[in-house]
Amino acid sequence: MSDRIFGVIGLALAIGYAWAALIIEESFLSDAVGPKAFPLIIAAVLAMASIVILLKPDPEPRWPELPRLLEIGAAVLVMVLYANVLPEIGFVIATAVAASYLTWRLGTAPLSSLVTGIATSLGIYVVFHLVLGLSLAKGPLGF
Amino acid sequence: MAFKISRAFLAAAFLGASAFTASAADYKPENPECIAPANPGGGWDFTCRQVGKSLQDLGLIDTTMQVVNLAGGGGGVAYAAVINKRNDDNDLIVAASSATATRLAQGAFPGNTMDQVRWLAAVGADYGVIAVAADSPVNTLTELLDQIKNDPTSVSVAGGSAVGGWDHLKVLIAANAYGIEDVRKVKYIAFDGGGEAVTQLLAGSVQAFTGDISEAKGFVDSGDIKVIAVLSPDRLPGEFSKFPTAKEQGVDAVGANWRGFYAPGNMSDDAYEAWVSKIGELYASDQWKETMAANGLAPLDLQGAEFQEFVSNSVAQIQSISREIGIIK
Amino acid sequence: METLNSLADGFVIALTWQNLLLALLGCFLGTIMGALPGLGPSNGVAILIPLAFTLGLGATPSLILLTSVYYGAMYGGRISSILLNIPGDEPAMMTCLDGYPMAQQGRAGEALSLSGIASFVGAFIATWGLILLAPQLVKIALLFGPAEYFALFTLAFATLGGVASTNQAKTAFAAAIGIGLAMVGVDTQTGVPRFTFGEVHLYDGIDFLVAIVGLFALSEVFIFLENKHGSSDAAGKKVVIGRLMPSWAVLKQCTPTMLRTSFLGFLAGVLPGAGASLGSFISYSMEKRLVDKEGTFGKGDPRGVAAPEAGNNAAAGGALVPMLALGVPGSGTTAVLLAVLLSLNITPGPLLFSQQPDVVWGLIAALFIANFMLLALNIPMIGIFTRVLLVPPRILMPIVAMVSFVGIYGISGSSFDLQVMIAFGVAGWVLRKLDVPLVPVILGTLLGNAMENNLRRAITIDNGDWFALIDSPLSLTLWAIAITGFLLPIIIGKVFKRRMKMSRDQESSTTD
Repeated sequence: MSDRIFGVIGLALAIGYAWAALIIEESFLSDAVGPKAFPLIIAAVLAMASIVILLKPDPEPRWPELPRLLEIGAAVLVMVLYANVLPEIGFVIATAVAASYLTWRLGTAPLSSLVTGIATSLGIYVVFHLVLGLSLAKGPLGF
Repeated sequence: MAFKISRAFLAAAFLGASAFTASAADYKPENPECIAPANPGGGWDFTCRQVGKSLQDLGLIDTTMQVVNLAGGGGGVAYAAVINKRNDDNDLIVAASSATATRLAQGAFPGNTMDQVRWLAAVGADYGVIAVAADSPVNTLTELLDQIKNDPTSVSVAGGSAVGGWDHLKVLIAANAYGIEDVRKVKYIAFDGGGEAVTQLLAGSVQAFTGDISEAKGFVDSGDIKVIAVLSPDRLPGEFSKFPTAKEQGVDAVGANWRGFYAPGNMSDDAYEAWVSKIGELYASDQWKETMAANGLAPLDLQGAEFQEFVSNSVAQIQSISREIGIIK
Repeated sequence: METLNSLADGFVIALTWQNLLLALLGCFLGTIMGALPGLGPSNGVAILIPLAFTLGLGATPSLILLTSVYYGAMYGGRISSILLNIPGDEPAMMTCLDGYPMAQQGRAGEALSLSGIASFVGAFIATWGLILLAPQLVKIALLFGPAEYFALFTLAFATLGGVASTNQAKTAFAAAIGIGLAMVGVDTQTGVPRFTFGEVHLYDGIDFLVAIVGLFALSEVFIFLENKHGSSDAAGKKVVIGRLMPSWAVLKQCTPTMLRTSFLGFLAGVLPGAGASLGSFISYSMEKRLVDKEGTFGKGDPRGVAAPEAGNNAAAGGALVPMLALGVPGSGTTAVLLAVLLSLNITPGPLLFSQQPDVVWGLIAALFIANFMLLALNIPMIGIFTRVLLVPPRILMPIVAMVSFVGIYGISGSSFDLQVMIAFGVAGWVLRKLDVPLVPVILGTLLGNAMENNLRRAITIDNGDWFALIDSPLSLTLWAIAITGFLLPIIIGKVFKRRMKMSRDQESSTTD
């Protein structure tokens, strides 16, 4: 069943892609092939592959139960939040919080998660910023 | 070969958030950065690197100029990126050339115009060349243009700019001057930079190359390609004097690719003045004169407001040429 | 003989204390950057350029430092592939396929040292190739016009089928997704934006690093979150490290593989536009075709580790040929190195070997030095690397996630990229669940643009005639290989699938 749904989604994706390719605005002078042809070929390949998947599905994968799914959803949410607040509150704090959360959710006791999170954050800061010289997001506290 | 090293590249890493600092009259860029809107090896890249290095050698900047390659869209990617993402950056300059003006003139940077950025200064002009492989039966520009006139499908011309870009336009100007009616029939193949275009000329995939002297020089020295025309009003000085101009072959086509810089539109006046004077000082130095001579750059001494005006004239001029040739309405 | 003399001169230039220290530093930093997901050879080199300039190094020392980083990163990428199933950089992608299963079977140390030796062999042969054949090899590169490049890329995609999964449709799906993603951004041929939906961040396309880190590293984190059973994973699965060096039998078994793939990888590297990823990919798929009689590739076959590592390191050496001799970068990293050369006022091109022999030969000597140093550095450190496996996943995985974020953010400084990466992470998790291979997606994003541009060039050159794609013997040969490579697995696929099923059944019956 999963593969059938997947095939339908793939097909929809291919159609959407082809449509997006068709509305590409061509410039006044173009090469012989133009900017649309290749994406259309790719859309066709995508559609064909999707149809085959739809018609000949593999055995059902093992999907996680709802709580596990929510767990992943929560982790995604934390990561998105992390990506957004990173430039605001600075690298070290944001990373410590996010790393602690992930460590905790993967089954570490809360307190040791916090310690691990902070250590992870500081460790990365030292390696990437102080040793390799990459500029990481500076927060109001300067790190 | 569009490696997306561009952004993953160099200096972006070093920019950090420290771009907004000093704004005294003696403004000194802390993290000077130059965007080359093409892959390494082309003209813009050369401009950034040479200027960056010379500025540092002359002590005009304290730290190494970071060169970031942001290729794509004939400079449009970089142009849009500067306007949209880096519009307040005081430490940033971007290499530009006639190619930039061309695309601006033709409205090929969608939604962007030339007054969205501040034009800094020119550092020289690079005349266009049309070249063929050393073993090609073609020896003069008129022979090549005759071939194109008789059968436009028989000659593929390779260049480093996108279709409709400056490298393309140079051939069209020459074809137009030679009396070829529908210049749109001239077959032009776009590569990612002059280096790749020359390689394909050597490989025999294409029959002619249009580009700048600085891109062709190494291969001319090695005897791999022969320059059949320089698009300059007179013969160039020094070792380049052996190349015939298009004009002396009866094709009245001149294509000077000026090289210079623009800066983000909201750069502070202090920073703008500082950059203008730094590049002016660089231009006047003996070191830069040597660099120009070694690379076939002809003089073009324009800074600040003068340069701004020059670019705006140049945009207007290209617009009228493009219209005349019929590639824009 | 003259060549050997020049090489000796090169060693005289390279063998000073300062240069040796620089090489050591470069190798060390390179290995670390290669191993960290998100930092690969190209930005590894880029990151250290300012260091070279601020130290005020001359041309040769700068090049020694940076090429050591380059080779170091090529070595380093395999470490996280083998230990974590996360490629440290894009050429190390193929090493995951057999390296990680080996690690799971308690052969991590063996896999690491074997891949280290394979890397050495690949790089060593490639450096000799560079010395002896550079001028001739340029001619090979010149055989490739746009049509031939297109055929070559098609070949890579056509042979994907047998490599990544048993379901051809899913492989094709993954490749199409990858190529489709590569189309996003401003079209380099005509300058019109495509699939950007007005989003400026997408104008310069999707960075393949963002894709690779998201698809591999973040999805791995999600898999762990999904399978977490309290703290039982730490106790339930005993981590075995096993022996650190492969046995002679294994080495002997892998030697022909290493030699063949070094040659193949080197050739792939010489072609500008193909690069190390293609080198390791083709090495793996060809080797699988050639020697995988029992269907052990993908399940921890040592040859499956040796092949891509020898291939990608050989390609790294090969990529220096077009860079030095033509001034055309053959890979992302050589593009950066080319930039360095230019800013040092060295113009690579046909005359570089005769005009600036000291630079060229100093560089080549440096490559040898770096290569030996890396071998010496890597083998004793394997014991330390394998300790990573002793860190419980509940602590290791968050570190992996955070390092991935930092790697991307540190380079691009963009939150948008991070969000794209998270999206890739979720997509990667779903695709893994559905048994859709990830390798084709990455290969597609890496090669999609070059593939399209060359198609368009080839057809424009021949005035819109699509037969242009098959009008040279070379392109015909490439197409023939591509078609055979595509059809063979479909024909023998059924047999193979049945066998797979049988072995899977056996496996489950023994573990249950």
